[in-house]
Amino acid sequence: MKKIIVLVVLLCLSVALFATGTKEASVSTAPWQEKGTPLSDVRVRQALLLAIDMQTIVDELFEGMAERAIAMTSPGAYLAEGLESYDYDPQKAKALLEAAQWPKDYTLDVVYYYSDQQTVDLMAIIQQYWAAVGVKSSFRKLEGDLSAQLWTPPADRKVGPSEVKWDLAYAAVAALSENEFYDRFESTASNNSTIPYQEGLDELVKATRATADVQKQIEAFKALQRKINKNMYNIPLYHQLSFIYISDKIDLKQNALGNDQFSYEKNILDWTTTRPDGMIYSNGGPMEFYEAPVVNPGLYLYQELLFDKLINADENLTPTEGMLAKSYTVSADGMQITFDLRTDVLWHDGRRFSSDDVLFTFEYLIKTPGLNAVALNTLKSISGADAYLEGKASSISGVRVEGNKVVVTFETLDPNALLTFSQWPILPKHLLGSSNPVLFQQNAFWQNPIGTGPFKVAQTVMDNYAILERNANYYRTGSGNIKKIYLHASKENDGNLIKNAESGRIDYAWSKSVADAQAIEKIAHMTVNPVNIRYTRLFWVNQYPHPANK
Amino acid sequence: MISFIIRKFLLLIPLLLVISFLIFLGMELMPGDAVDFMIPPDALATISQAELDLLRSELGLDAPFLVRYGTWLVNLVQGDFGYSLQSGVAVSTLLANTLPATLELSLAALVLSTLFGSILGVVSALYKGRLSDNVLTVMGMIGVAIPQFLFGLIMIVVFVFKLGWFPVGGRLTVGNEAFLQRLDHLILPSVVLALSMTAGVMRYCRSSMLDSLNKEFIKTARSKGLPPWRVNLVHGLRVAMTPVAVLIGFRLPMLIGGSVVIEQVFQWPGVGQMFVSAVRSQNTPIVMMVAFFSVLIVLIASILVDIATALLDPRVKLS
Repeated sequence: MKKIIVLVVLLCLSVALFATGTKEASVSTAPWQEKGTPLSDVRVRQALLLAIDMQTIVDELFEGMAERAIAMTSPGAYLAEGLESYDYDPQKAKALLEAAQWPKDYTLDVVYYYSDQQTVDLMAIIQQYWAAVGVKSSFRKLEGDLSAQLWTPPADRKVGPSEVKWDLAYAAVAALSENEFYDRFESTASNNSTIPYQEGLDELVKATRATADVQKQIEAFKALQRKINKNMYNIPLYHQLSFIYISDKIDLKQNALGNDQFSYEKNILDWTTTRPDGMIYSNGGPMEFYEAPVVNPGLYLYQELLFDKLINADENLTPTEGMLAKSYTVSADGMQITFDLRTDVLWHDGRRFSSDDVLFTFEYLIKTPGLNAVALNTLKSISGADAYLEGKASSISGVRVEGNKVVVTFETLDPNALLTFSQWPILPKHLLGSSNPVLFQQNAFWQNPIGTGPFKVAQTVMDNYAILERNANYYRTGSGNIKKIYLHASKENDGNLIKNAESGRIDYAWSKSVADAQAIEKIAHMTVNPVNIRYTRLFWVNQYPHPANK
Repeated sequence: MISFIIRKFLLLIPLLLVISFLIFLGMELMPGDAVDFMIPPDALATISQAELDLLRSELGLDAPFLVRYGTWLVNLVQGDFGYSLQSGVAVSTLLANTLPATLELSLAALVLSTLFGSILGVVSALYKGRLSDNVLTVMGMIGVAIPQFLFGLIMIVVFVFKLGWFPVGGRLTVGNEAFLQRLDHLILPSVVLALSMTAGVMRYCRSSMLDSLNKEFIKTARSKGLPPWRVNLVHGLRVAMTPVAVLIGFRLPMLIGGSVVIEQVFQWPGVGQMFVSAVRSQNTPIVMMVAFFSVLIVLIASILVDIATALLDPRVKLS
């Protein structure tokens, strides 16, 4: 808190200093007037980022437990080289604003939808930074129907007016694939509420989806990043880290740590514990229901341990070998995937897993509201998916079952198909076959889910705890000695994580909270492991005119 | 007295109707609806409005307000408490899971606070102005002033982390599900919850006792030569307990949802946490039932207070 106060005081002083040197604004027509909003001028957007000392914010507010962003993509193979970093430069920001004839009486309307203290602090600090270069802003938290308020695109994608009533929206994108970051830059995207049609931008977005060749995809993403970076279509702020907390009571046997928002092979069957009863402790147990794997299929530990996917993924979420499919092949053009399914898999209730379950899962999930965009796009890309969704066909014609083989044929190429099949689990047709996919989460199945995974539900006391036990019928055995997993009931943000860790009742858990990491770091029997994840915080900049900025 | 009780209970019906309508209206006036909370804000960016509308329709959220309230009321009369919008689980099942935990915690706290509050209040009144009175007064002030969450955390640090006497939280552990086996889980949260309640009862009891000891009938009793303990504890305390009974009576509604903070600090899986979560996620069927029962208990408590007052104070007649 002291650091925040010091930051705010310094910024107030700099406001006063800059105010003395303010020149009168030009009375000539500003270049952005024709487009109806000052935010349509790239110099204004660049100035807004140049005015923020993001590195200091990362160092002070987040105490180094985040990473400054220069693009939505995190550092790594997918990040383009040579992007402009727009380092903190208030003088340059001021010069750009003057050149763009920034209207000094204009107040930026900034919205956000998180209620945590860190967001509130960050918004207060950014407001001061902008004030220091002469930009007034007001911040408000959105409530209610966020989807409609944030992402409704305008009828006219070239000139607007905007359907959303704000200038900037502070948001986060937790991406499973790079496409989740960039698809919305396309002028026809259903959630593009802020970026008008730009020459060449749609083509660059499409290029990222036009090939199954990973290297070509990476080059396409880099080209797209360069255009976005140069034109500052949005303002990336920082990449959030996740923190994995491990006690000295368990040994992960050198298995890599990864993005726990999704599923990856932890080889938990090989883990060992020194606890004599073979029980390890974690959190995320069900409070009212087990969460269906729809949006983030691995957000809770039970989701990835109770269910299996067709194929596996490594800690970077890169698809690897088969899981429920003992092997799979992809055609040279990427338009067909053949899964050769295992025949030795049983559901936790003893029923045999079969190819019918695979077909059922595809046809069920495609009708489930809220399904993650990556999975939905994959399923919609399958031949005959449209006819099935429109009710013209009783089944998706592009999914063919041939004994133990499932052949998936695509109508359009989806570079993320393997990713989807490595994340979304296969569901039991015999238990969900007659249920309504729209009310998937409300089905009684989620009071006691049945999967094929390496652990099964042994006991659930809702809102208290759940116990998973090792599945004796699992097709792999593993060398570890963990017999049971005790899950304290909690949501993703677990207010009791620190207390439980302190009292020795957490062996493996994760969170994105810097405060959790700072507290658990001080507990002698715990280690904190920061992990880079695809999770970027940013401002969406509304470049369409709306009533308030006309 | 019986006709009084029947009349009072009949009056409950219109009161419950009005209050339930106001609560339903309050939920309606909150921005958004349950669907807005079912899907994380970040994920909403990739979901079409048509999908959200379909979900609303399946959950019956697209019907007009009065139709939804009428449906809820008709179902309630038929004994159907509705279903959680989030999980599809019957509200009756959710209440059956959480209500025992809250009752257990709140009753323990109510008994502890009533017992200790009354005893300490009487002691404080009988020794007015002396050291014991001053000490108890200061302790009472502290008990009222200290926030429950802070006291709870201090207790956890001392008795869980330092001394290791109690579990850090939760209501039960695996294999220890009988009441006596999980008593160690109950002690800390009930003591913390009882603390602030004890202080209130003590202060109430003290002033009521002092007031009672100055009454004419006490002077008469003393002048008749009755022993001091009989004057104080039989004649004085009986009348002094009337306002204390009112206070305790009005704490009965807390049995349902009044220990939210303690439930959070001690991971106690009670109605309070469920209610807060339901309000946040606009899970109207849960909010309505918890609120309905809370209101019902408030109203019943007021009737019980009237009856208790008449029983304790011979001067009060029910009519």
